[in-house]
Amino acid sequence: MKDLLISIRRTPYQSLANFLVLFFNLFLSLIIIFLLCFLYGLLNYVESRPQVTVYFKTETAESDIFKLRDTLMNSGKVESIKYISQEEAFNIYKELNKDNPLLLEMVSADILPASLEIYAKKPLYLPEIAEFLKKQPGVDEVNFQKVIIDRLLTLTNIIKKSSFVFFGFLVFITIIILMTITNFKVALKKDEIELLRLLGADGFYIKKPFINEAIFFGFFSSLTAFLIFDAIIFYLNPFMNSYLKGINSLVLNFEFYKLVVWPINWQFLLIIFSLTTFFGIIISIAASLIAIEKYIK
Amino acid sequence: MIKFDNVSKKFPLGNLALNNISFEIEDNEFVFLVGPSGAGKTTILKLILREFLPTSGSIIVNDFDLTGKKFNRLEDLRRKIGVVFQDFKILPEKNVFENVALSLKVSHIAEKEVKKRVKEALELVGLPNKSQVFPIQLSAGELQRVAIARAICGEREIIIADEPTGNIDPKTTWDILKIFKKLEGKKTIIIATHNVDIVNSLKKRVLVIKEGKLIKDNRKGGYEL
Repeated sequence: MKDLLISIRRTPYQSLANFLVLFFNLFLSLIIIFLLCFLYGLLNYVESRPQVTVYFKTETAESDIFKLRDTLMNSGKVESIKYISQEEAFNIYKELNKDNPLLLEMVSADILPASLEIYAKKPLYLPEIAEFLKKQPGVDEVNFQKVIIDRLLTLTNIIKKSSFVFFGFLVFITIIILMTITNFKVALKKDEIELLRLLGADGFYIKKPFINEAIFFGFFSSLTAFLIFDAIIFYLNPFMNSYLKGINSLVLNFEFYKLVVWPINWQFLLIIFSLTTFFGIIISIAASLIAIEKYIK
Repeated sequence: MIKFDNVSKKFPLGNLALNNISFEIEDNEFVFLVGPSGAGKTTILKLILREFLPTSGSIIVNDFDLTGKKFNRLEDLRRKIGVVFQDFKILPEKNVFENVALSLKVSHIAEKEVKKRVKEALELVGLPNKSQVFPIQLSAGELQRVAIARAICGEREIIIADEPTGNIDPKTTWDILKIFKKLEGKKTIIIATHNVDIVNSLKKRVLVIKEGKLIKDNRKGGYEL
C-alpha cells in the first residue's frame, strides 16, 4: 500500500488521467448495463402478459375450444394457455364494474364470449399462432400484442447491438489510453526495473506494483462511478415511479435465479457494481500488462 | 566457479570487445580485473550476469551454462550474483533499509528474515544507524556502502563490482576496500578497476585485460601500467 501511494504521489497527473479514463468508461458501462437490464426486464414483463387472446363466438361449444387448446399446446410453440369461460368472463366483468349497477344489469354471462389467453414460448411465434387461430371455426376475434412486443424486441436488439459496438470501442480507447499512461509510468521507473532485473527479480515481481495500481484504480474508479450513478438513479426514482405506474416489478429471468431490476433494489445495484468493478479491474490490468511486457523481456 | 573458455564478444557495429579470452575463477576467490578504459572489463562482468551473450566460446558460472541461447534460469543465476556499480544505482525514493532489502525481496524471502539480514549487512558495511535515512542524505562513500550491503545480502555467492571506487574520494576508497576484505574467503569477489594503488595494496590475483585480450593472469597480485 505504501509503495502504491508513493507511486501515485510521484505521478499525480498520470494517476489522475488513469482514474478519469477508467471512471468515464465505467460510468458509461454502468449506464449501458442498467439500460440493457431494464429493457430486458420490460421485455420480460410484456412477454408475461397474455400475448394472444382469442375470443370465441357465444355459440362455440366448450369441447371445441378445449380441442383447439390441446392442438395449440401440442404445437410446441405455446408456454401456457388459460381458459376463461363465459361465467368467469362475467365474474371479471362484474368485478371491473362493481361500482356501476347499470352496466351490470345490461349484461349476462350468455353474451360474453369465452376466451383463451395464450402465452407463447417466444414472441417470434406470436404472428403464426394468431394467424392459425384466425382460420379456426368458432373464433370471433384474435388480439395479440404484436406491435408492442415487436417494437420492444427491435429496440432491445438495437440497443444490445449498438451497446456491444460502443462497448468494444470504449474498451479499445480505454486500453490504448491506459497503456500510454502506464508507458509513462514505466519509463519513469526504467532504472528501477533495470536494477530489479539485475538483482534477479522475476517478471511477476516487477509487474506486481503495476498490477496493484491497476486493481486500485479499477476499484476506486468503479466505486466513484457507482456512487454518482446511484445518486442519479435515486434522484430520478420518483419520475420513474410515476412513469412505470402499474408495473409492480421488472424481472430478469436467469436459469437458476430471478433478478429484480425494478423497483431499484440494493441487490441489483450490488450486482451491477460487482460487474463494473470486475470489468474495470480487468481492463486496467490488461492495459498495464501490455504496456510493461516489452520492458521486462 | 566461473569459467570463460575462448570467449569472444563482437557487438553489432563490429567492434570486438573480447577476443578469445579464457580463464577460471575458483569459488571464494578474490580477483581484480584490470585494464584501461574500453579494455573489456565491463563486458566480462556483463557476460557473467548474462546481460548479453558471447559471440563465441562458452561461459560457466557455478552450475549455470550461460552459452546457449535458450536459458530459462536467468533469475536463479542473478540471485546468486551481487553487483556493485560505479554509479551506485541506489533508488532515491526508497530509504537505505528498503534499498538493501530489494536484494532479498526479489528472492521472495520472508519479511522477518529480510529485516534480520539487512541489519547484518548494514552492520558489516558500517551503516547500522542509517537504515531509515534516504539516499539524498548520504555521501558518495555511504551510498557505495549501501550498494555493497545490497550486493552481499541474501544467498549471493559471487560479488562483482564495476569500478566501485570510481566516484569516491581516496580515504573512502580504502574504507570500501576494507569491506571487500571482510568478505574474502566467504564469497567470490571480482572487482573491475583501473586503480593501480588499490590492486597493488591488496596483493590478490589480477587478470589484466587489454584491447579485449587477457594479457596477464598474475596469481600473486600486483599490476603495472
